[in-house]
Order: sequence, then structure tokens, then C-alpha cells
Amino acid sequence: MNQTKEILKTIGFTMLSIGLFLVLWTFLAVRNPDFLPSPLICIEKLGQMMGRPISRVSLGGHILSSLRRVLLAVFFATLIGLPLGLAMGWSRKVNAFVAPIFEFLRPIPPIAWIPLVILWFGVGEVSKVFLVTLGAYVPILMNTVTGVKMVPPVLLNVGRIYKASNVQILREIVLPAALPAIFAGVKTAVSSGWMIVLAAEMMASRSGVGFLINRGMEAYDVAMIIVGMCIIGVVGYLISIVLTFLERRLCPWKTNLE
Amino acid sequence: MSDNVKVQVRDLNKSFGSLQVLKDVSFDIGRGEFVCLVGPTGCGKTTFLRLLTKLIEPTSGQILIDGEPADPAKHNLAFVFQEPSAFPWLTVEQNLRYGLEIKKRDKDFIDKQVDSVAKILGLDKCLKAYPHELSVSMEQRVVIGRSFAMNPDLLLMDEPYGQMDIKMRYYLEDQVIQLWKATGSTVLFITHNLEEAVYLAQRILIMTNKPTTIKKIMDVDLPYPRNIADPRFIEIRKEVTDLIKWW
Ligand SMILES: Nc1ncnc2c1ncn2[C@@H]1O[C@H](COP(=O)(O)OP(=O)(O)OP(=O)(O)O)[C@@H](O)[C@H]1O
Ligand SMILES: [Mg+2]
Repeated sequence: MNQTKEILKTIGFTMLSIGLFLVLWTFLAVRNPDFLPSPLICIEKLGQMMGRPISRVSLGGHILSSLRRVLLAVFFATLIGLPLGLAMGWSRKVNAFVAPIFEFLRPIPPIAWIPLVILWFGVGEVSKVFLVTLGAYVPILMNTVTGVKMVPPVLLNVGRIYKASNVQILREIVLPAALPAIFAGVKTAVSSGWMIVLAAEMMASRSGVGFLINRGMEAYDVAMIIVGMCIIGVVGYLISIVLTFLERRLCPWKTNLE
Repeated sequence: MSDNVKVQVRDLNKSFGSLQVLKDVSFDIGRGEFVCLVGPTGCGKTTFLRLLTKLIEPTSGQILIDGEPADPAKHNLAFVFQEPSAFPWLTVEQNLRYGLEIKKRDKDFIDKQVDSVAKILGLDKCLKAYPHELSVSMEQRVVIGRSFAMNPDLLLMDEPYGQMDIKMRYYLEDQVIQLWKATGSTVLFITHNLEEAVYLAQRILIMTNKPTTIKKIMDVDLPYPRNIADPRFIEIRKEVTDLIKWW
């Protein structure tokens, strides 16, 4: 009984928050319709965009196209970041070898790479995935290094006492102990990848959510720009829900903080 | 060297930087003996077990198992660490199997061992649980079970029962004696609880403050199972307590 009341209360607050947001938006929109179309107009626009393809690609197609770039990039970023991070966390020597280069490259935002990437790979798929990978490997690598360094020494000692080989210790103790941290890194990689892909798509692209926003800009179609932005928000939110679910499946031993 | 010596310690010294922890420690532990190690907080009891198992190296001196430096590949060791050491990502059952699986024992044997150990330690109802779902005492029993399942030749226990309530403690004290008798293993058991030491050990090694040496080795010549109300038991306990008052 009490619990239903609590849930109803939570839902109530959520509705209130969304409602207030829409009211504020509408209020601002009716005063400056040229700069900010109202929610209703945006919904209408969304209906239009769902109805017919934009530049011969459906709306879903555009979303999938951005998502595919991000997932591909996160895949490559994991391929690089995970083994390198394990090695850096495990061995001082490897860390001393790699860390200076990494620390120097890390502060350069992926956007700054755009000219070079265009020069090297043109403006096709490769350069977009490459750019996103550049941003996505960073959190994966950093979290892996931290995760490995934070493995409780006593757990390593358990392995040593029972004569686990180094490979066994790495695979059966270090990796699972670091997995929650690694997964948190992948999560960050996906969300920052989602930001970078839009930048990459806005530079030159014929598909993707970034392209939609660009198209809106070229056509002075403010509603289209806003719909594009909303799609980014909603898809980002959905991604984070899916990843949290995946995390629970992958790390069932992790205590949930909620 | 005699065949009856399991652990041989000769002129063992260990310093961490300028902090000398162990100083010229020498003693033997017989094969199949049950020895308790007592000493003040921070005197180096844990350090001694870490040296014995080669997790760390001595500054000088020797520490041998069966006449050679500890080698987990040859010696069937088990170590119940002072701090929680169940693997959080493994279920209770997987934790219990861990040591045996590393050593590639056959599945039937592992099943049998895990089954019996889980029953002894009262873990048979929560084999599929993860350690974080258990109480501290139960989590510690998982680690004890992981060690017991090995049927180790040399069982090292570092204050294993510190977190247990008194009933569980008494019960587990009897269980470790049973395991020791059944397998003929050598047991080295660290405790702060003097009654526990007198209840368990054939010999009690009493250590001094840092730099630590052996203050005295007490023989406890009482038959098992011991009775804590026996006058002789009380007398020995008092003797140990008096030796320790000097800390
Ligand atoms: N790796 C290390 N580096 C520096 N000092 C250490 C290290 N390990 C232990 N010491 C020091 O050595 C001394 C002995 O530590 P040890 O853990 O062996 O004591 P203990 O007898 O097990 O104590 P307790 O009863 O609290 O378990 C302590 O003063 C501790 O601070
Ligand atoms: Mg200790």
C-alpha cells in the first residue's frame, strides 16, 4: 500500500517535471516563433520526418546509421583500450612506456583531429568511425588501468597460494575484479562516442542524426534541428538504460547502490 | 634433516625499510603438528605467514617447508587470510571449488569435497549466492571452506574466527581439529584469543613485541577434545596469559 503510494508520488513528480518543461518551452516559443518552434510544431515535424525519407534514408535509418558508427568505434576502442589498459595496470614497465604518449594525446579533443582525419581518410565512414574511436578509447583505457591497480592484493595472493599461473591470475582474478570499472569505462565511451559522432556527421555526411541537424540548418528549418536534438537526447537515454541492464547481467556480483 | 619436520625456520629476519619486524627467529614445526601463534598486535604474525608462503622475501635467514623453499606447485598449501578474501565475482560454490580447480583435481573429487565442506560449514543452503549477499561470518566461512576443501598438507589460518560469534567459534574450533585429525595436515593458526590457542594447539608460540622473537614455546599436553573447565586447562591458560602480560 505504502509502496504504491511512493511509486505514484515518483511518477507524479516525473510528470510534473516534464509538464513544466513543456509549458516553459511553449511559453518561450509563442514569443519567438521564428527562433523556437513550439513543442506541437516539433511533434508535427517529427511525424513528417517519420512519414517520408530524408535524403532517401528513413528516420530510423538515420538513427541506426549514427548508432552503427558509435558501436563500431566502441568495439575498436575496446579492442585497443582493454588489452593496453590491462598491460599498463599490470606492469610498471609497460605503463612507463605508454603513459607519456597517452597523457600527451589524451587532452587533444577528437574534434581537433578532424582536418588530419579528412586528409588521411577523406570524409567517408572510416574517418567518422576513426574520430569516434579516438574519443572512445580514452575512458576505456583509463578505467581499465585504474580497475587493475585497484584489485585487492589479497585476492592476487589467493591466486599465488594456489599456484595460479600469471595468465590464470590475469584472466580469472584481475579481469573479473576490474570488470565493473572496465564496464563503467565502456559506458562513458558510448555516451561520449554518441557526442563525437554528431560532430563527425555534421562535418560531412549523408546520413545520421548529425546530418539531420545539418540539413535543418541549411534549410532554415528550426523544428528539424530541434527534433534532431531531441532524438539525440532520447537515444542517449535509451542507450544508458540498455547499458545499465547489460551491466547487471555481466556483473551480477556488483552491489547495486540504489 | 629429519623427516618429521614440516616447517624449519632459521635465523629469520625481516625489515620493512628501517622497521625491523622479525629478529633472528628460529624454530621447527613438526609434520602433522597443530601450532598456534600468539603475539601482540603488529608484531609480525601475518608477516611470518607471508614469508613462509613466499609472498614476500626475508631480509635474511631461511624458512623451509619439507626442507625446501615454499613452492605452491609442490606443497599443498591453504591460507585463510586475515582480511576478506572470497572472490566477489564467484558464487559460494565456485569459491569453494577454486583451489581444487586451479590444481586440476578431477570433477568427482571436487564435487565430493565441496559437498562435504559446504555441509560442515553450513553453506549448503546458499551455494548459488554471491559473497556480498552473505554476512561477514558466512563470507569468512566460504574462505575457510575453500581451504578445507583442499585437504592441505599445510594449513595456515590468520585469525580466521575473529568475526564469529562465540557459538560458531566453538563449533569451527572443533571442525578444524576434526579436519586436522582426518587429514594429518600441519596447521599453523594465528589467534588473539588465548583460550582458543589453548583449546586448539599442541604447542603455542608466544611472540614478543617488535623487533619480534619467540618469547616462549608452550607445550599443551592435554588430550582432545579439551574441556575449557578442566583445572589443567585453566592453569595453562593462566600461564600463557601471564607470559603475555608483559606486552
Ligand atoms: N608491506 C609492508 N610494508 C611496511 N610495513 C609493513 C608491511 N607489512 C607489514 N608491515 C609492518 O610490519 C609490522 C607487522 O605487521 P603484521 O601485519 O605482520 O602484524 P600482525 O602481527 O599480523 O598484526 P595483527 O595482530 O594486527 O594482525 C607492522 O608494524 C606493520 O605495520
Ligand atoms: Mg595480522
